[in-house]
Amino acid sequence: MIDIEHLTKRYGATTVVDDVSFRVEEGTVAVVVGTSGAGKSTLLRMINRLVEPSAGRVLIDGKDTMTIPEDELRHRIGYVIQGYGLFPHRTVAQNIATVPRLLGWDRRRIAARVEELLDLFQLDAAEFATKFPHQLSGGQQQRVGVARALAAKPAVLLMDEPFGALDPVIRGKAQDDLRAIQKRLGTTIMLVTHDMNEAFHLGDRIAVMDRARLLQYASPADILTHPAEAFVEELVGTTERPFRLLSLTTVQDALEPGSAEGQPVPLSASLRDALSQLIWLGRQALPVTDSSGAPVGRISVDRILRHGRADP
Amino acid sequence: MNTISSRTTASGMTSLRSIPSLDRLGSVLALLIGVALLAAPFITYRANRIVAGEGRMLADALPSKPAVAVIAVVLAIAFCAAFVRKPLVRLGAAALGLAAILPAAGWSASFVTPDGNAFARVSPSTGFWLLALAFALLAADALARLRLGPWARLLALAVAAGAVALLLASGAWDDLSLLKEYANRADSFWREARRHLWLALGSMAAACLVGLPLGILGHRIRAMRIAVLQGLTIVQTIPSIALFGILIAPLGFLAAQVPLAAALGIHGIGAAPAFIALFLYSLLPVVANTVTGLDQVPAAVIDAARGMGLSRRQRLVQVELPLAFPVILAGIRIALVQNLGLATIAALIGGGGFGTFVFQGIGQTAIDLVLLGAIPTVALSFAAAIVLDAIIDLTQRGAHDRH
Repeated sequence: MIDIEHLTKRYGATTVVDDVSFRVEEGTVAVVVGTSGAGKSTLLRMINRLVEPSAGRVLIDGKDTMTIPEDELRHRIGYVIQGYGLFPHRTVAQNIATVPRLLGWDRRRIAARVEELLDLFQLDAAEFATKFPHQLSGGQQQRVGVARALAAKPAVLLMDEPFGALDPVIRGKAQDDLRAIQKRLGTTIMLVTHDMNEAFHLGDRIAVMDRARLLQYASPADILTHPAEAFVEELVGTTERPFRLLSLTTVQDALEPGSAEGQPVPLSASLRDALSQLIWLGRQALPVTDSSGAPVGRISVDRILRHGRADP
Repeated sequence: MNTISSRTTASGMTSLRSIPSLDRLGSVLALLIGVALLAAPFITYRANRIVAGEGRMLADALPSKPAVAVIAVVLAIAFCAAFVRKPLVRLGAAALGLAAILPAAGWSASFVTPDGNAFARVSPSTGFWLLALAFALLAADALARLRLGPWARLLALAVAAGAVALLLASGAWDDLSLLKEYANRADSFWREARRHLWLALGSMAAACLVGLPLGILGHRIRAMRIAVLQGLTIVQTIPSIALFGILIAPLGFLAAQVPLAAALGIHGIGAAPAFIALFLYSLLPVVANTVTGLDQVPAAVIDAARGMGLSRRQRLVQVELPLAFPVILAGIRIALVQNLGLATIAALIGGGGFGTFVFQGIGQTAIDLVLLGAIPTVALSFAAAIVLDAIIDLTQRGAHDRH
């Protein structure tokens, strides 16, 4: 859990982060979005004290970060940046082992942890452990960067544009993987991006920043349906709104009793994907099946469209 | 990838040019070999060590059969240099050429010198040096085309050093005037060699001890970097003789005022000012390359290291210095090669080293004595450059090697 209280950063007369307060709940993902220069990265870097706040404080699991020595604090906080910053002179295994080694873990424990993480990130330990960063693809480098940040089981993971250097196809897959790993480990994540799609895809809550100020901190659905300011509405993109809303809701929430003809839709699919399939097949309704493949009801165009309205 | 493309171009060339084509560098070398063989004396014969000598062509320098054999080998190598493209063959040809003319020079010395004449001097002449230069260039070109890895280059250096040692130990050159000069000074040669190495290596080690911290500070503090680098650049522009002169007064004063300094061997002239001058000259490459090397460590790597909680010292030792190391080593290489050459000047102010022979030789117009000082100096610089280049390659492996 991260509590940000009245956090402010000034450089001379310029205020880069202006009195920002919000809380990231345990085990959730908070995404900070905004245009470049809005103060997102500075806000993030004040959490692990790479930037010292001018005013305000940060609490991690209730403890004021100023009371913990700087380096010790950073050992407990995972940090992933856009270029990943992998150490080019060290192997993948050595890179991942960085923080455990600083913490003085014994060799066997480090080796076991490295193997566990490589496995978690679908990198074959036998093949990748001894490779150097420049021998990896962009996607593999990104995974090693996240694995390195998670190595010492940090309470909190900070990510600054972690997918910014990836091409769109790999980016989508990397986002899905991160979401899956986050759910599995229950890590608390604060992620900075300027990509709205990424924010809606990953965030349990979204913080919108503009010109040093926090404009709104709310769930993705609230950001869409109740934007606090015109800038938020603009940033979200008015034409995208209904589709974003549909992608946040699953078929489960719009399930109707009864049956229909055609290829079944899984219960866990988003309404956006279900609608896409209905349009493509030219049907008004399709059957819905659960994860075991058993029919549980149907989904209709009418019902889906109702979920895409500003006022359902 | 590389091997495939080079193979296709190679086969493309052979199919395009079915008649043997001229190698550009090779044909120049062949011309050089021709001139050396036909128009320049192979050795110089002198009645004693300081009178002017008379040149002898290769054909007159050896008994007729061996002379013909050596000439044939040399001509064959000239042909090979001009027309054969395979680097390994060219390397072999260059080695064969050196293996032919080096002993031939020694043999010709015993052949030309009248029996029992201890004053006559025979030294290699223009023809020999041109041939040696041509073969050395041919070998260097072939080695460059072979793109040897660092270990193979070190091995090649060891083989070459071994061959020279063997040649000298075999006594084949004992009748050449260069080795006669050596035989008269065997003790002082090795003493000056040790002195030379001590001056060059010791001052470089001192420059590393001082230069590395100075470079690290310069990297962190901008104002200091500018001051230090500009100061050292000014030092670098002072001619070495002038620098010795500048040092005489303060060191002489120090020796006169502080008995301990005098007891340590610090005087206005001698090894101390030479050591200090060489130290000052090597500081610039060491400091400048340390600053550059640290500057080019990627910002993302530093940021990640800070973010993971590496302390300042841990960042420096575990991340910044290892990544800057190849560049720092390149600076040390420049300093060392420069020092090995510059240490010759130390002899001017009584600092010793190979320069002693050079200046003695100049004083006595005995060119062989000059060579006795100059050849080891050049060989040392050359070997130091190869060894440090190989080490630089080896340290870069982890970060940049793509194999």
